[in-house]
Amino acid sequence: MSLAWFLQNLLNGLSIGSVYAVFALGYTLVFSILGIINFAHGAVFTLGAYLTYVLAVGEFGLNGMLAGVTLPFKLPFALALLVGAALSGLAGVAVERMAFRPLRKRGADALLALVSSLGVALILVNFIQYLFGAEIYSFPPDILGDLPPAMLFQVGEEFVAVRTIQAVLFGVSLLMLLLLVWFIQFTKRGKALRAMAENPETASLLGINVDTFVLGTFFISGVLGGLSGTLIGVSFGLAGPYFGVSYGLKTLAVIVLGGLGSIPGAVLGGLVIGLAEAFLPPDLSSFKEAVAYALLFIVLLVRPQGLLGHNAEEKV
Amino acid sequence: MLELNAATLAYGQATAVHGVSLHVRLGEIVTLIGANGAGKTTLLRAVSGLIAPKSGSITFEGRTLRGLSPDKIVRLGLAHCPEGRQVLASLSVQDNLELGAYIRSDTAGIRQDLDMVFDLFPRLRERAGQLAGTLSGGEQQMLAIGRALMCRPKLLLLDEPSLGLAPIITQGIFDIITNLNWQGVTILLVEQNAHMAMKIAHRAYVLEAGQIVAEGNAQELAGDERVRKAYLG
Repeated sequence: MSLAWFLQNLLNGLSIGSVYAVFALGYTLVFSILGIINFAHGAVFTLGAYLTYVLAVGEFGLNGMLAGVTLPFKLPFALALLVGAALSGLAGVAVERMAFRPLRKRGADALLALVSSLGVALILVNFIQYLFGAEIYSFPPDILGDLPPAMLFQVGEEFVAVRTIQAVLFGVSLLMLLLLVWFIQFTKRGKALRAMAENPETASLLGINVDTFVLGTFFISGVLGGLSGTLIGVSFGLAGPYFGVSYGLKTLAVIVLGGLGSIPGAVLGGLVIGLAEAFLPPDLSSFKEAVAYALLFIVLLVRPQGLLGHNAEEKV
Repeated sequence: MLELNAATLAYGQATAVHGVSLHVRLGEIVTLIGANGAGKTTLLRAVSGLIAPKSGSITFEGRTLRGLSPDKIVRLGLAHCPEGRQVLASLSVQDNLELGAYIRSDTAGIRQDLDMVFDLFPRLRERAGQLAGTLSGGEQQMLAIGRALMCRPKLLLLDEPSLGLAPIITQGIFDIITNLNWQGVTILLVEQNAHMAMKIAHRAYVLEAGQIVAEGNAQELAGDERVRKAYLG
């Protein structure tokens, strides 16, 4: 339990936790305007990772429909990440059109939208499997170009390793968080989005087009999903078309832990779970996937509304 | 300016307004009075596009509003200050007002109108940075009216601006409504407080169970025996 040990785990926890936070914000944005959990978010996460992979590496795997196909180009990783994220945003828009809008227009129960988003998630995952195959994809080790894989810092007698990929994870996530906060807090459209989250009817009376904003929210949510999928994928590999599903479920624990619909809550929840996983003693490492849920149960016993959630108070 | 022709309005199967015709001319204050549940709010909601008329027509400046969504109707110059104020509680007072000008992009004009609203309601200037949810009921009403003014409406729909307010504050709000009208804003005012509404209005309509039962010059109507008995006590 040395300082180096502590710093190493802190670093590992913050870097993965920041990605959880970005992923979680995708759920939170949609939840805050529609009051619905979008179960297809995990599938968009997977899609983003696969798209970036193909754009950066230029080829598909071995047993999908597109096996053996090669692209005439390879994008640099940073550009592939951006294009992959943008395409994921479009996938988010498609999810809204297919799973949410038709039900919303009929004023259907929120539970139905939940089921239909689950359906779209399955379609998307199977589509990915059809095209890309079911095997594991790993980004090549030189995906970040000539950067060294890690840098070592001496702390006392020991070393702390900062993997380059960790720095990328943390840097990109932090940038996304700051961009999002800036957008929501300070821009006219961000304020309109908050108005809509609070009261769609009043927002429409102010001239805010509700449908456009719902679509825009799904786009941003898809970008966040695709981006975090790529970041996790480049760090741990793409373990088949279903790999987003388990991250998707874990991230549900993140948003409930932080407080449903709360943006600071999603960020805090992501960091808490990332850190808890990192500080898990090595002999308990087989329980790593359970950490998020264990924490969730404990927090919910004490604070049913989550860490930063609040019970809605209405002023009459 | 605004014209409803035999408009029938319903929520699902329940008809709330039966074939109502009314009009508002440029520069007028027209008030719509009636008991709770008479269909006043429903009528305003139909004008601003929140519900679609079942039959009949609604036109604004000669143009039909049929099929237009609320965000399109605001852009025609028709602001709706809804019942129960509906300020955006989680946003600051200033943000609420700026969102009132959402459809505009003339930064300088918006600044100017923000100042105008702050001059009209100095309390709002003092509380510009405060969350709207923390305001008192009267202040929230000021904010709701101020926000509606920020889009420079030609016609302002006001739904129960006196609801839940102390008489002295109500008086202040009504003075401001009169003032706005002098400055050229046409107003359609829905009120339960018929007494005060009749005092500032040019013309009035009395709505009862979804139908217009009396209409005319506000002063004459205020003298009408039936109206006095039913609404002015």
